[in-house]
Amino acid sequence: MRCCCGRYTEEALDASAKLLEINPEYYTAWNYRKLAVEHRVGESGSSPEYVKSIFDEELKVVENALRQNFKSYGAWYHRTWVLSKGHSSLDHELRLLDRFQKADPRNFHAWNYRRFVAALLGRSVEDELQYTEDLIGNNFSNYSAWHNRSMLLSEILKKKEQESSSQDVISKEYEFVLNALYTDPDDQSGWFYHLWLLDQTFKVKAPLLVSSWPVPGFDLVVSGNVSFADHPLSSFSEFTVALERFPVVLYFNQNVEGVNSSTVTIQSTFVQNEDVTWKPLSLQNSPASKVWVGYLDLSGVDHHSSAPYTVEIKLGHHQGIMSSNGLQLSIPFDLSFTVSVKPLETQSSKDEKVAWEEDKFCACETHLQVAIPCLCYDGITVDNKYEPTTSDWQIGTIAEEISQIRNLLAISDSKIGKITLARLLMAHDAMSSPYATKTVHAEEVLGLYSELMKLDPSHYQYYKDERSLVLLQQLLSSRETLLRYCFCYRGITSPSAYGPICLRLNNQSISRMGSFDKLLWVQLLDLSDNELHSIEGMEALQLLRCLNLGRNKLRSFTSLDPLRYLRSLKVLNISHNEIGLHSIDTTRYSCSASPLSHNGEIIWSDDVFPPEDADVTNYWEAFMVFKSLELTQLDIVGNAVTNEKFKSFLLKILPKLQFLDGQNLHQI
Amino acid sequence: MPIGIAASFRFAGPRKEKKKKKLGGARMEPPPPPPPPPLGTTVTQRDQWTVEQEVGRIYSFFAQLPPAAQSFALEVQRDNHIEYLTRGLRGLAPSFGSLDASRPWICYWIIHSLALLGEPIDAELEESIIDFLSRCQDPSGGYGGGPGQLPHLATTYAAVNSLITLGGSRSLSSINRDKVHNFLRQMKQPSGGFRMHDGGEIDVRACYTAISVASTLNILDDELAEKVGDFILSCQTYEGGIAGEPGSEAHGGYTFCGLATMILINEVDRLDLSRLIDWVVFRQGVECGFQGRVNKLVDGCYSFWQGGACALLQKLHPFGLSEGGEDESTDSIDSSLYAASNVSEQEEQENNLESASPQVDGTCQFKQGGPQSASCSENTGNASYNFHERCAEGGSLFNSSALQQYILLCSQLPEGGFRDKPGKFRDFYHTCYCLSGLTVCQYSRSKHADSPPLPWDVVGPYSNLLEPIHPLHNVVLSKYQEANEFFAG
Repeated sequence: MRCCCGRYTEEALDASAKLLEINPEYYTAWNYRKLAVEHRVGESGSSPEYVKSIFDEELKVVENALRQNFKSYGAWYHRTWVLSKGHSSLDHELRLLDRFQKADPRNFHAWNYRRFVAALLGRSVEDELQYTEDLIGNNFSNYSAWHNRSMLLSEILKKKEQESSSQDVISKEYEFVLNALYTDPDDQSGWFYHLWLLDQTFKVKAPLLVSSWPVPGFDLVVSGNVSFADHPLSSFSEFTVALERFPVVLYFNQNVEGVNSSTVTIQSTFVQNEDVTWKPLSLQNSPASKVWVGYLDLSGVDHHSSAPYTVEIKLGHHQGIMSSNGLQLSIPFDLSFTVSVKPLETQSSKDEKVAWEEDKFCACETHLQVAIPCLCYDGITVDNKYEPTTSDWQIGTIAEEISQIRNLLAISDSKIGKITLARLLMAHDAMSSPYATKTVHAEEVLGLYSELMKLDPSHYQYYKDERSLVLLQQLLSSRETLLRYCFCYRGITSPSAYGPICLRLNNQSISRMGSFDKLLWVQLLDLSDNELHSIEGMEALQLLRCLNLGRNKLRSFTSLDPLRYLRSLKVLNISHNEIGLHSIDTTRYSCSASPLSHNGEIIWSDDVFPPEDADVTNYWEAFMVFKSLELTQLDIVGNAVTNEKFKSFLLKILPKLQFLDGQNLHQI
Repeated sequence: MPIGIAASFRFAGPRKEKKKKKLGGARMEPPPPPPPPPLGTTVTQRDQWTVEQEVGRIYSFFAQLPPAAQSFALEVQRDNHIEYLTRGLRGLAPSFGSLDASRPWICYWIIHSLALLGEPIDAELEESIIDFLSRCQDPSGGYGGGPGQLPHLATTYAAVNSLITLGGSRSLSSINRDKVHNFLRQMKQPSGGFRMHDGGEIDVRACYTAISVASTLNILDDELAEKVGDFILSCQTYEGGIAGEPGSEAHGGYTFCGLATMILINEVDRLDLSRLIDWVVFRQGVECGFQGRVNKLVDGCYSFWQGGACALLQKLHPFGLSEGGEDESTDSIDSSLYAASNVSEQEEQENNLESASPQVDGTCQFKQGGPQSASCSENTGNASYNFHERCAEGGSLFNSSALQQYILLCSQLPEGGFRDKPGKFRDFYHTCYCLSGLTVCQYSRSKHADSPPLPWDVVGPYSNLLEPIHPLHNVVLSKYQEANEFFAG
């Protein structure tokens, strides 16, 4: 078929045309025709009429080919090639398109070609917009028409520099789509367009620091042993940490990159800024994360001096911290706190066991009312003024959409409507208070998700998870509500009169954890008797020492992955979960196929090399989680995986363990 | 709008079967005439309604069957599929010289389907396929749609996957890797994308086929991978899925291609995965199968493109649903989920949902009576409830059992072959991608791709179990492993 002699005979061209009319996918023939056209046009002395006739012939061949198969990539592509040579006319092409688009209004080749033609031949955006309107009027389920409308409007919005006129355009579109939504509240097409409109209304925001540990202005008393290896559970009202690894946690509202010693500066007498390395707390090994941690080395601080040291942290004064779409941290943030170091009082017995029984907790309201406000955020207010970035128009729009969709739901049971309303309400709350401290609509949203769980059981778990996140936001939204879930733990001897503070979110039927930005201070956390199947995000809780996950729905050790980052964790209860019950776990997959993959399993550089042991391979997932922890107490009873062999494996990889399932190992 | 237009996603043009034998529903009673569609709806909704009626009828008919008949209906009709496929493969041989531009595709669709069924190809036929594909190999590298045709990325992918599936040193060594590498480099565009062929179109399909081939042949390098991620990223739309080219709407086939490519070049985290998940999981509708785009009809081939994308996401993203989780409130509506199960949920349509559930019950009842019932503790009690529970608990992103039911009851033809949807004809394309979708479902909950799934992960008799595939390349896993060793170093 290919012509090597440089001559393109009439017969060969005819044959290729016939062939393409039978099988338009014969791309080799399209290429042959391109070469032939170029050759013939290039011949000296070809008149404009002759050239035109050559290209007209091509248009005809394409048209016939498309009649045979109008999903042919090759045919459509050949036509764009002819047009890019400057042939055919807008009218001609629109007529052709109308014919094909009537036959199949969803053909994406035709739509792509339409966009190409409109741009090339200068069809006005308004005319094209009218075309989509006609098609939508004719069949509002035609999502391709809606999609093209969004593309056209993007162009218009780009041109309209003035904000107010682009706002008018968007407002009109809300009215337009509302008609479709009312006509059939369950049709997907209009809702997807509505989603696009919401995107236009609320453009991606610049990253923002939403929380940190320590909180600004906090006077921190740290007691710690210089030796990381050995610090019993003593004082929780103060912070017991390994002094050479005192964590500072920065929590952003979205994934950011570029947190390092040049974008974050630390001023303090005992820490050199350059010595602090910032690490993203990300399970995916990605360079971007919402949570970053830097470790200060306090081991050089004078234990006997009572004077607190001031630490000042400044970020966002230099460019560099940015989101994946290139937006810079919007508001500079200064964080200043003081640290005094106390030598660790080792009066507590090493044999003390943390028990989670009800009678070990006490409400101690007056004490907590004083202690809690120092520990956690109620919005970053100290020395950091937050300038609202949302305009009145945006708030107005969201309020309008909320009322419209409420009206819509009064006459229909649309699932999409319900979930949109839930999202809008949460967005509304978030906009009026950016640190999620006011959740005025939480009750309504919880109700919507509960309805959805009933209405749409096949996505039950999704709604349940979303509901859990909203519930947590509500429970933790303010100090007042938070106080209800804080208790003093009396189960161990403590230098403090009250005992350490424990956050108890047990028995709330939570299936997924969230709101970690509110929990950075937590050292004892009780999440027992929930329905958790994942603890994703818990890696942010760098101070966590005791964690109760008993009686949840965790299915595998892999789901405990976030624990690997919690170097302070000593006491862990994962009893009565479903680990090992499902012999096959779907939660891990490494795409080893990629030769470009540099993903290692190992995240921390000081990783121990796995001992050569058959058990390690048998219990690889457990090994991966536990090897970096120095647990002193572990409860694992009531999981299918637990047997004597596994327990002896645990003893091997957890040499510091004192209690296993309540049994004191030192007394055996 | 003519109903006859398949929503299929193909790399190459549709292949119509010459024989238009009336097929389908052979063992079913003649269906009663459908009630008229509700008034005041759009064409799209009426078409959707018709399909839901048809699928609903099949499911309710199934639900009434006695257990033995149900068992038969859910069985993969191996012998008939093998016969259909083998006949197709033999039929190819004499017309290898014909003016077709996608012969390597037909080879791949058939060979891969047979491999999924565990059926070997006889030696003589295998020889002639290797010879034929060798003749499609361009002297300068890559494979064309037939001997003497220009090399093309899609047919290169089909040819390479075919040869890997045939396996053995004669087959694998027939691939000129250096030349293929040259061809891939020639197709590489400065923008990061690839052209399908010299002077051809640039799209996500081209990126996937190029990167997949490069990866299986162990010739993927930084030069080929450079900026591919930028191109794919520019094709992810606000819907969450991935379009064929920038500006287009999200599409199931391209979504798989784009996602697999991003995984292969190790840049998958650059995609907005939480939105991608939101889009793809809601493309599975009440018919139990997947649609390819928003408000399109269900089509069996998306069992692989969408189902496969779900399986990839599930493995990539262990903890399941939207990653943006707790920041959704501060991020306003960015990761909104637009639950869009289907066009219409008027009361008449609700019947379909209900008629689908007894079908599910039926499946489980069948299993309870089956040999695995002892180990199948989940089947006690409310089977339908357990069914939902089971899928949700592990963070499954799609309803694997429902999809298997669609494939087995609606796409499968008992006399062999698979189709888009009831009322359509079978073809090799749909046979290949329905079977590929089926194996993805069966292994979607397995930890290791080659460890056998649990009995309740396989709908129908356990003998339905197909060979596992490598989910990024869609070749049988053992064949991939063989090729991987062969091309190592």
